[in-house]
Amino acid sequence: MFLRNYWYVAASAADIGRKPLGRVILNEPIVFFRTEDGTPVAFEDRCAHRHLPLSMGKLVGDRLQCHYHGLQYDRTGRCVRIPGQEQIPPDAKVKTYPVVERHRWLWIWMGDPALADPATITDFHWLDDAAWGAKSSYLYVKANWQLIVDNLLDLTHLAFVHETTIGNSALAEHASVKVTRAPNNVVVTRWIVDQPAPPTFVKVGGFTGNVDRWQIIDFTPPAFLRLDVGATPTGTGAPQGTRVGGISMRNLNAITPETEKTSHYFWGQAHDFDVTNAALTQKIFEQIETAFHEDVAVFTAQQRNLDLIPDPPQVDINADTGVIQARRILDRLHGEEQAALHATAAE
Amino acid sequence: MNPVTADPAGWVRVAALADLAEGAAFAAKLGNRPIALYRLAGQIHALDDVCTHALALLSQGFIEDGAVECPLHGARFDIATGRCLAPPASVDLRTYAVRVADDEVYVRAPA
Repeated sequence: MFLRNYWYVAASAADIGRKPLGRVILNEPIVFFRTEDGTPVAFEDRCAHRHLPLSMGKLVGDRLQCHYHGLQYDRTGRCVRIPGQEQIPPDAKVKTYPVVERHRWLWIWMGDPALADPATITDFHWLDDAAWGAKSSYLYVKANWQLIVDNLLDLTHLAFVHETTIGNSALAEHASVKVTRAPNNVVVTRWIVDQPAPPTFVKVGGFTGNVDRWQIIDFTPPAFLRLDVGATPTGTGAPQGTRVGGISMRNLNAITPETEKTSHYFWGQAHDFDVTNAALTQKIFEQIETAFHEDVAVFTAQQRNLDLIPDPPQVDINADTGVIQARRILDRLHGEEQAALHATAAE
Repeated sequence: MNPVTADPAGWVRVAALADLAEGAAFAAKLGNRPIALYRLAGQIHALDDVCTHALALLSQGFIEDGAVECPLHGARFDIATGRCLAPPASVDLRTYAVRVADDEVYVRAPA
């Protein structure tokens, strides 16, 4: 199940250059490159002639030349040269995609191009805001994208999967959790008050005593999870709204389905303390990266079982509230997109 | 089992009035039994907290239009009467009489 009328993160902007990059998104092969003036371009990664991925070819000026028989495509996806012949068949063209560079990522619109409005790109300004130190990265995940969304909406797993970094038992056993929902938004707020800080927080925050820790997870469709996380020494007022003497971070996640069974996982970590300290940014990043590799092992193993036993029965527990509300939103939006498609087809 | 300290008339203190925010649920215990207290338009209601469908805690659910929606599977219950309004649950919730005295909230189990 995919939602199409959305902006997705396609790549780190730094990974798009003069060497064509091929990437499958929502089951569609897409090639990315930059023209000589630096403009990012995305079009179908399949030559209209004999289907070779155009990403195997090379750029000749602003034209992408197919590796197989040398057909050249301009930035609008139109074939403008066929070696050895003057006439270009009108069907010699490939589909293009709207792309926008923002917050160090390249975003792509996967739906009806007429609906592509860059104003609807989800805000990830923490990744390129001078008030924050940040580093982002990419993981290729051999699992369905919704497993990753589920993971980020139920952070009780930190107590078990990430006990050497960002988790400890207080998370699952001593938390107060509140889930709020809007038509296209779920927010899960968890407070862990007067409990020991997890290993990563001790390392980067220098806590010596108990802390008040928060995790505020904001989900917006299709797969954006922006986490406001942090801790302050217990009793200093964070639950009442005053954050002093502690650390505050944003864990930022944008998941882009590759296929039904594989995902592109773009993520970043931003911190609002000692923001120009690159070594600190790196240290925090490495802690989270360690944890995320532990998550990827979980996703891959879940997908193994889902491949063997498609659509198995499952039991829901109280911690699933955010997960279930998000899945309900995604199912509704998918139904609406399908209904709109069928209505258009019937016209 | 936690002892239930009831007065001779059967009232048991389950919360401080200050624990109950308008429009919100508060999870309490009547002995070992999870109950949920709701404060709606100043009125306090006490119902079983466990969904009659699949054991989710309704105090973690969503309060809308005088009803609580189960956080997991969407069953809905009328907060004033405990009546089940929407599947997948079909059994009503037990309700409890509520009394407020000296800023403390007491409930009484049905006889």
